[in-house]
Amino acid sequence: MSDAYHGPLERIDDHRWRIPRSYKPGMRVDGLIYADRALVEAIKQDKSPEQVANVACLPGIVRYSLAMPDIHWGYGFCIGGVAATDPAQGGVISPGGVGYDINCGVRLIRTNLTFADVKPRLQALVDTLFKTVPCGVGKGGIVKFNKSELRELMSEGSPFVVRRGLGWQSDIECTEAHGRIADAEPGLVSERALERGSDQCGTLGSGNHFLEVQVVEKVDDAQAAAAMGLVEGGVTVMIHSGSRGLGYQVCEDALKALHNVPEKYGIDLPDKQLVCAPVDSPEGRQYLGAMRAAANFAWCNRQIMTHLARQAFADLFGQPAERLGMHLVYDVAHNIAKMEPYEVDGRTCELCVHRKGATRAFPPGHPELPARYRTVGQPVLVPGDMGRASYVLVGQPGAMEHTFGSSCHGAGRRMSRGAAIRASKGRSIHRELLDRGVFARARGRTGLEEEQPDAYKDVVQVVSVLHSAGISRRVAKLRPVGVIKG
Amino acid sequence: MEPAFELFDHTADMGLRVFAPTLAQLIDPAGQALYAVIGELAAGEEAREFEFDSRGSAAALLLRDYLTELLILFERESRIVVSPRVSAFDEGRLAVRGQVHRVDEARSVYNREVKAITYHELDIRRERGGYVATVIVDI
Repeated sequence: MSDAYHGPLERIDDHRWRIPRSYKPGMRVDGLIYADRALVEAIKQDKSPEQVANVACLPGIVRYSLAMPDIHWGYGFCIGGVAATDPAQGGVISPGGVGYDINCGVRLIRTNLTFADVKPRLQALVDTLFKTVPCGVGKGGIVKFNKSELRELMSEGSPFVVRRGLGWQSDIECTEAHGRIADAEPGLVSERALERGSDQCGTLGSGNHFLEVQVVEKVDDAQAAAAMGLVEGGVTVMIHSGSRGLGYQVCEDALKALHNVPEKYGIDLPDKQLVCAPVDSPEGRQYLGAMRAAANFAWCNRQIMTHLARQAFADLFGQPAERLGMHLVYDVAHNIAKMEPYEVDGRTCELCVHRKGATRAFPPGHPELPARYRTVGQPVLVPGDMGRASYVLVGQPGAMEHTFGSSCHGAGRRMSRGAAIRASKGRSIHRELLDRGVFARARGRTGLEEEQPDAYKDVVQVVSVLHSAGISRRVAKLRPVGVIKG
Repeated sequence: MEPAFELFDHTADMGLRVFAPTLAQLIDPAGQALYAVIGELAAGEEAREFEFDSRGSAAALLLRDYLTELLILFERESRIVVSPRVSAFDEGRLAVRGQVHRVDEARSVYNREVKAITYHELDIRRERGGYVATVIVDI
């Protein structure tokens, strides 16, 4: 099923590979994949480079169709893809460039606890988190919202739930876009999407979503780590989830609504899954309004789980979360489309930046950064796998010059779910994780097998490419010690 | 060709391949394939009648829409459709009736959540004297 890519991939330097515009008719720009020589061999094993070339055909695309080193095969767009389109040049918005899980993202919470504090109670901590944070198939949220409240929540984003006591004011400052994209249109979110989201705000879900207790294993950038409150040996909590059924339904509705729209605007697509509409069109604005509402829902989802994680820590350690120093380091979206200004041919253009499995990575000095990160750059949170490591990086000037302020979003899968289950035969992944010092609990029967460390590329390799390329710099390496999965 | 299904690998997600001698006979194993991705779902007490009637799309799109209905019924109400009876399935209409049953939680095992039924490589084709449907679900 997983056909290899046989088209051109020209080496530009140690970390960039080009698919020239001449590769296929309709490409408006080159494709550009960030990878080292070893990663590129793995990348060629599926059709994701072909998808990079297909995205290069979108109207209004600027400079390149980009892919990060964690690239793998997706729907229409590859996972790990970045594409910026210029509305003034007929640029389009494509739901496939955002994905089903709108504003799937990651957040990191630091604590005053050291691993020495947590180690004797690690199993109890994971059990408490597992009971407190709803996860897995069919698990509804603890906080319920009626439809009217959901619409308010989607309009206001994180501040809505923080105002209800489900977070701290500082959480808002440390969330991308302050947890709220403006111009959300909850009125454009369907009844069915509202129904799917009504009891899912504050739930983890399953698949690759997780909550991890981690230890800061190594600090590479002391200044940036200090700004984030990260010290070697310190304990952190990482949460990975998105907009749940509400976001999936917004994407589903948009794919249907846009089915015949490319034809209407004379847009010829190499793959039907790239359905799109001009940003500056009624159809484009409609999707953007609903997508932004779903994105705001996702920030509320992760915010409520942050509140629940704080409660679990406070219950177990007998101190309020404030005393435990459980501040949000940052929250990043990695499935989203946002309007952002960039210099193009000497003029400032407001571009529609699609990030599908890619993280915003703004450099030091960027006006959107909170004061505490203004001199060090935006934290970029890169989950690896549940056995090895995750990383905290910071955005670098190279990201603004080359990747529309974007970096990678994870390690990227190297093994299918079925292959991972087959590779687990006769083994206990739970036991193997314990041997690595990781206590894991999963609600789904196959969750640990499918998400085992070997199913993912080595995040060290992925992160190193972008560090060397001047896109995002290493700050800290985080080692998992406790995991909950759906 | 006997009605049957198999699950296949797709990097981060999963694929369903469904076989049947007629288009109409694809429907039951397609639903079973979706439920098999989610886990081993045991039917509990009957809740109500199920009815799905959609027109105006190609057969593969209609099958995708039907599976989306099953997915949302499961996600929202923890219910499954059993014994679907197909009164029409062609390039233009799919009509199905069946019984909606609650999932018997005590006898069920969950594997994973399905986010969506995608359009990726969606296909129904004639093969070996019957039909083969391919559907990829987002995990």
